[in-house]
Amino acid sequence: MEAPQVTVMPVTGGTINMMEYLLQGSVFDQALESLLHRLRGLCDNMEPETFTDHELVYLLKGQQGNPFILRARRSLSHPTSPWHLRYLGQPEVGDKSRHALVRNCVDVAASHSLPEFLNEMGFRMDHEFVANGHIFRKGAMKIVVSKLSRILVPGNTENTERLSLSFLVELSVLAPAGQDTMSEDMRSFAEQLKPLVHLEKIDPSKQRH
Amino acid sequence: MSGGPAVRVSIESTCEKQVQEVALDGTETYVPPLSMSQNLAKLAQRIDFSQGSDSEEDGIDGKPRDREWTKQEPEEEEGTVKFQPSLWPWDSVRNNLRSALTEMCVLHDVLSVVKEKKYMALDPVSQDPTTPQVFQLISKKKSLGTAAQLLLKGAEKLSKSVAENMENRRQRDFNSELLRLRSQWKLRKVGDKILGDLSYRSAGSLFPHHGTFEVIKNTDLDLDKKLPEDYCPLDVQIPSDLEGSAYIKVSIQKQAPDIGDLGTVTLFRRPPKTKAGTQQWHVKLEAAQNVLLCKEIFAQLSREAVQIKSQIPHIVVKNQIISQPFPGLQLSISLCHSTGEKKNHRATPDKPKPDDHLYVLEHNLHQMMREFHKQQLSSVVMPHPASAPFGHKRMRLAGPMAYDKAEITSLQHNEGLLEKIIKQAKHIFLRSRTARTIDSLASRIEDPQIQAHWSNINDVFESSVKVLITSQGYEQICKSIQLQLNIGVEQIRVVHRDGRVVTLSHQEQELQDFLLSQVSQILHLLILIPKYHTYNSKTLTGNTLLLHLYIFYFLFFKLYLADSNCIILFENCFECNIFTLVCL
Repeated sequence: MEAPQVTVMPVTGGTINMMEYLLQGSVFDQALESLLHRLRGLCDNMEPETFTDHELVYLLKGQQGNPFILRARRSLSHPTSPWHLRYLGQPEVGDKSRHALVRNCVDVAASHSLPEFLNEMGFRMDHEFVANGHIFRKGAMKIVVSKLSRILVPGNTENTERLSLSFLVELSVLAPAGQDTMSEDMRSFAEQLKPLVHLEKIDPSKQRH
Repeated sequence: MSGGPAVRVSIESTCEKQVQEVALDGTETYVPPLSMSQNLAKLAQRIDFSQGSDSEEDGIDGKPRDREWTKQEPEEEEGTVKFQPSLWPWDSVRNNLRSALTEMCVLHDVLSVVKEKKYMALDPVSQDPTTPQVFQLISKKKSLGTAAQLLLKGAEKLSKSVAENMENRRQRDFNSELLRLRSQWKLRKVGDKILGDLSYRSAGSLFPHHGTFEVIKNTDLDLDKKLPEDYCPLDVQIPSDLEGSAYIKVSIQKQAPDIGDLGTVTLFRRPPKTKAGTQQWHVKLEAAQNVLLCKEIFAQLSREAVQIKSQIPHIVVKNQIISQPFPGLQLSISLCHSTGEKKNHRATPDKPKPDDHLYVLEHNLHQMMREFHKQQLSSVVMPHPASAPFGHKRMRLAGPMAYDKAEITSLQHNEGLLEKIIKQAKHIFLRSRTARTIDSLASRIEDPQIQAHWSNINDVFESSVKVLITSQGYEQICKSIQLQLNIGVEQIRVVHRDGRVVTLSHQEQELQDFLLSQVSQILHLLILIPKYHTYNSKTLTGNTLLLHLYIFYFLFFKLYLADSNCIILFENCFECNIFTLVCL
């Protein structure tokens, strides 16, 4: 039996061409309650959902300068859920008037043997952290309020130390490429959170010193 | 100094008057000097009455006043010398004052002595019990008068405040109305406009309509003119495509012979039921929300009608969806949206057409849409880990667990809104037709009697009815014919009393035939009974009779179990004991 033909054309459809629109901000610990209250009122009417996740960041250092980064994330509060592997591309340098950070995003669900698989492929774990907080939803928008903690002993997620006295707030939307209408909705939603938290687009490449 | 002529020196008092006021042009206004009586009064004030013609009190009190008196004496003497003739009127005054002082001192002494209670005691004086009647009446009248005055004043104040309240309630502050609006609807402030959201998006809907309404202040009106009865300082402006009222009409009809009729469903205007006391804006917003929901339902149904492949394709024309649940039958779902123009409705006759609108199905459509909304909001959709995209949690397992297409399709919701509503319509139609069949048979056939007991608790897809065929006087014999009919979506399942199950299709004739066969069985059973009665009384003994009965029943049931379409006819001839079996 012949193996089915493998196409050499790049895959363009499905999940490959999704773009992530992102806005980020942060609040101090003291302001968390009021922010959660406001989000509860603005977002869809559901029971508030908390999460605890463990994320591992893998690097593949090639001959070129920039290493290839993959993020593997699993849920500690729902251990049976599959792992989530994510690739985030470079932010698109579009017109400056676009309100959110846009980058290519590939999401894949994976089984529990993901870390071994990545190790076998040649990736090396760069760093890991634990994130816990709340997740809200408004239509297609996802709002994640999380506190990041550093893992002191690699592999041990119980022993963690908080990285800062604040919470990271992220507003993100996954949309197919070419659909630019979401950034307006994101901006108006960010306006409604204005005095509590300022959500703006933060270019990760500019963060590195 | 010494040699010159004598200079006349005149001495006169300086006319020094005090300046009262200096006017703007420099002229001075002097204080007028005291007149004679004023001057006298001033001097009289300085008289010390303790040092008078009476020298009794001179003792200790006199000494410290000596100095004062000596000071005042020249002035007093001056006063007395100057105003000698007018001393006498003041003298009486002075004497009176002195005697008053004496009295006061005596009283003071007495009180201080009485306070010690050693040398003097006070005893009450016995009151005169009878006060004059007239005096009592007058005093009571006066006190009642003052009390009445107070009460009247209070009542006046109350009535004034009540009138003010009524005035305020009529005028009704814009802000308090806005507060009431905000307690029921979502509002937000954008710039200087107040916008609201009447869509179901926060409740889980994915319909792309924005559903934004604007709140308008209605307070600039002439307060002198009489305010209209339904005046409200707040008004809402709803989007133009949500005006009026709408509903979804679901009806089952015989197949229309011509297709040209489609898309023109006559609308009859339902009178809106407004509760007393609801605000105008509330009614408007609720109607607009209902229109939006109806539009969403119809959009979902038409999308499914076009996309989902079924054996008989559905027709979507303008605001109507037509499908065929059963051959010869047509289910029409239409969105009736009347924008409130009254002119159109005057043209149509006042009495609406006989209502073939199925309210139950319309209600079910609304309910199913809301179920769909709720599913969007269920926490099953939330991703764990948090960075994963939204989606059903079982679908996320499809990749890692390597599901194949069959498993994936089984995970997704197969049935859309349209399919569900068609199934429900089929069931309703089948049930009503079954009822009609049973009723027509029951009215046509007088003996035996057909009874149908419908169960109260039914499902959207299943109902049941128990049919009893009995005859008057022979209930014991006829207990065997009890049928339980379970009416499903497309079939009717019949369960006999002995447990046999027969499945009938949706054809009306099949059910009728089946019921007729059951009726015939009873009839033939009944034919035999009189023969047995006459037989009994004549020759046979009890044992033989019993034997005959046993054989009869045995054969009857054996054949009955074997083939229900067989009708057994028994003829018992006592001469030759022949059982004749006739099968049809």
